[in-house]
Amino acid sequence: MSDPVVVCEGLTHVYLRGTPFESVALRGVDLVVRRGECLGLVGPTGSGKSTLVQHFNGLLRPTEGRVWVDGVEIRPGTALVREVRRKVGLLFQYPEHQLFEATVFDDVAFGPRNLGLDPEEVQERVRESLQWVGLDPDRFGPRSPFSLSGGEMRRVAIAGVLAMRPQVLVLDEPTAGLDPEGRREILSRVRELHRKARLTVVLISHSMDDVARLCQRVVVLHRGQVFLDAPVREAFAQADRLRSIGLDVPRATDVLLRLKAAGLPVRCDRLTVEEVCEEIVRVLQGNQRWSSSEA
Amino acid sequence: MELLRSLTIGQYVPRASPVHRLDPRTKILATTVLVVVVFLVRDFRGLGVFAAFLAAAVALSQVPAGFALRGLRPIWFLLLLTLVLQVFFGGSSGGTVLWRLGPFAATREGLVQGLFVTARLVLLVVSTSLLTFTTSPVELADGMERLLNPFRRLGVPAHELAMMMTIALRFIPTLVEETEKIMKAQMARGADLDTGGPLRRARALVPILVPLFVSAFRRADELAVAMEARGYRGGEGRTRMKQLRYRAQDLWAGLVVLGASALVLWSGRI
Repeated sequence: MSDPVVVCEGLTHVYLRGTPFESVALRGVDLVVRRGECLGLVGPTGSGKSTLVQHFNGLLRPTEGRVWVDGVEIRPGTALVREVRRKVGLLFQYPEHQLFEATVFDDVAFGPRNLGLDPEEVQERVRESLQWVGLDPDRFGPRSPFSLSGGEMRRVAIAGVLAMRPQVLVLDEPTAGLDPEGRREILSRVRELHRKARLTVVLISHSMDDVARLCQRVVVLHRGQVFLDAPVREAFAQADRLRSIGLDVPRATDVLLRLKAAGLPVRCDRLTVEEVCEEIVRVLQGNQRWSSSEA
Repeated sequence: MELLRSLTIGQYVPRASPVHRLDPRTKILATTVLVVVVFLVRDFRGLGVFAAFLAAAVALSQVPAGFALRGLRPIWFLLLLTLVLQVFFGGSSGGTVLWRLGPFAATREGLVQGLFVTARLVLLVVSTSLLTFTTSPVELADGMERLLNPFRRLGVPAHELAMMMTIALRFIPTLVEETEKIMKAQMARGADLDTGGPLRRARALVPILVPLFVSAFRRADELAVAMEARGYRGGEGRTRMKQLRYRAQDLWAGLVVLGASALVLWSGRI
C-alpha cells in the first residue's frame, strides 16, 4: 500500500528562463505520492499546482531537481516518456475542451489507439472506461461529444484518460464550473475509481470539502513551495495557518471551530457533515449527562 | 513545449524608456520612414550608418540587445536562403568566380550583393520589431486608428481596422496558451506529434486544431456578447480615456529620425 509511485526531489521549475518574462513556478519541492493513496493537492491560485503535476508524466521537465515515476527517473528520452505518460493519467482543467472526435466512442478510443492496441482491445477499454464514469457505452458511444451537457462532456474526457489504464490518475480541478449534480457525480466516480479500481489519485481542488471527503493526505503548495504536508485531519486542524495564505477548512469543520469559539468543548478534527453531527451530539449529550448528574 | 519563448515578433517589452514614452503615431511614422530608407540605401556605408543609428535607438529603448535580435530567429532560414541565392545568382554574369558547384558559380559580386541584401533584411526586421517592443498593442492600434482617420472619407474603416487589430493581438497569447494546453492534453493521451512522415504529422494536428477552433469560436462569441453588453456600437461618437497628444519629445524624435535618414542616404554620395 505504501511504496512510492511518484517521487519529486528538489524540484524547481522556471518558466521562460532567460527572457524578461522569466518566472519561478516551483522552488525545491520534495514530494512523495504513495501507491493506492488519494492525495489532495491544494494551494492558492498561482501556487504551482498545475506546474507540479505536469512533471508527473514528463510534460514539463525540471529546471532543477529530479522526478521518479514507478521507480524510473524521467529523463528526456522519448520511449521512456511515453511509458510514463501511460502510467500517469493527467486530466487538465476543463478537459472537455480537448474533445475533438465525431463520436464519444472515437474520442475515448484516441488514447488506446495511440498505444497501438488491436480494435477488440480498444473497444473493450472504451466500454469499460465509459462505464467507470457512468455513461452507457451503447447510448453515448455513437453520439457527438459536442451534443452533451458540460458534466457529461467532462466525464467523457475522464474516460479518455482512463482508457489509457493509468496507475495514477491526476485530476486538475475536476469539478470546476459544474453544477452541484455534476460535481457529486464526478466525485463519486473518482471515489469509486480509487476504492474499487485501486487507482492512486492526486486531486487538485479549491474545494476543501471535496478534499476532506476523498483524500487521506493533503499537500499544500504556496508560492511554489510545500507549505504543509500532512494527513487530512492534521492538516485541517491548522485552520489559522491555512487561512493565513488565503485557503480555508471544510465548511463542516468551520461549524465546529465556531462552536468551540463560542465555548462548546468540541474537538475540531472532524471533516464531514456526518462526523460533525456525531461530534455535536456527543458533546451535547455529554453536557446533558453532566448537568443531570449535577441535579 | 514553451511556444511563447520563440514568439518575440510583436511582443511588447514594458520599460520606462524615452522611446516607450513617445506618441505611438510618431513611432509608426518613424518606422515607416526607416523602412523606406532601408530599401533606398545603395551601399554598405549607408547601411553602416543605419545600423549605428538603430543600435543607438535599441540602447535608448532599454530593450535587451539579445532580445531584440531574437526576433530574427524565426527567419534565419529565409536569411540563409537569401544569402545563398544571392551568392550564386546575385552578381550579373561574368563576375569574378570564387568557386564552382556543378553548373553554378559563386561570384565575388554575388557574395557582396548577398551580404548586402541579408544585412538589409536584418535591419528591416530589427527596426520594425523595435516598434512592437516599445509600443503596447493598445497604443499601436490607437495610433493606427488616428493616422487612418483622415482617410475615413475615402471609405477606410479606420476604427474597425484598429479594433480588429487590437482584438487579434490581444488573443495571440491566449491562443498560444490554449494550443499549448490542448497539445499537452492530447500528449497525455499518448498523441505523438513529432514522429512519422508528413501525412502522419498532418493527421496528428487534427486533435489539436479541432478543439482550438471550437474554443476560438466560443471565445469570439463570448467577446461579442461582452462588448455588446457594455454598449459597444462601433466607433461613432466614442471617446477615449487616454487621449493621444504630440509633445515636444515627438518633434525632436521626428527630427532625429529625418536627420539620420538624410545622413544614411547622403553618406553614399560623399
